[in-house]
Amino acid sequence: MDPVKYRNLFLEEATEHLAEIGRALLELEKDPRAGESLDLVFRLVHSLKGMGASLGYDAVSTLAHRLEDRLGGWRARGGIDDADGLPLLFRGLEGLERMVREVRETCGPPAPDPELVAALGAAAEPAPRKKLPPQPARVAE
Amino acid sequence: MAVRVLVADDARFMRQLIREIIEPEGFEVVGEAADGRAVVEEFTRLHPDIVTMDIVMPKRSGIDAVREILALDATAKIAMVSALGQEALVMEALQAGAADYIVKPFKPEAVIATLKKVAEKER
Repeated sequence: MDPVKYRNLFLEEATEHLAEIGRALLELEKDPRAGESLDLVFRLVHSLKGMGASLGYDAVSTLAHRLEDRLGGWRARGGIDDADGLPLLFRGLEGLERMVREVRETCGPPAPDPELVAALGAAAEPAPRKKLPPQPARVAE
Repeated sequence: MAVRVLVADDARFMRQLIREIIEPEGFEVVGEAADGRAVVEEFTRLHPDIVTMDIVMPKRSGIDAVREILALDATAKIAMVSALGQEALVMEALQAGAADYIVKPFKPEAVIATLKKVAEKER
């Protein structure tokens, strides 16, 4: 994996995603039960989690994962039904924007935001874990 | 002959990464799809040997796309692409008929081993 090439791909795609998330949050501000906007934010945050994890940007993948958990709960309940929900989402967006900016400026992994992660995790419902069939071992040489 | 693969993921980053992992190992990426509707259309057009299918995609989920592809062709071989925390969805996809799964972030050797296993599966 060429780290420079994939960092640039991340910066390009993450910047697009964050702009889209921002627009969707404005829709959710008008209507916290806007299912399409909630689905969109969930999908984009999920995508950021995957890209962050692939590049070893643990701060990005951890924050995105917590956001995804909260979003999953809201989707299941048909909308953002708690008073701190939208402010937390906006904080999450700002946190991710700061991290992407840091990657752009330093070309390295961004610093974590444990306070925000804790705030998001405080009311998150842990998803039940299911046991999956095992992954294959290494390919024989 | 190269195993022909259709890669479905809404992130360009992930599509590119899968391509770079598998192409040096004798797989040929014959097409890409960025959403759950396009992957069904591309499957019909390209008839790939394997589809790698992201679960969370716009327009239609990867799981719905699995059901639709298998309804079109019961012998289709599909490997789900999942992330941490998606165990329940992977189980649902396997029950719907997906052949196997790979997990993000990718371990290249696991991706290759899984796709080789899927390619060899009888359907």
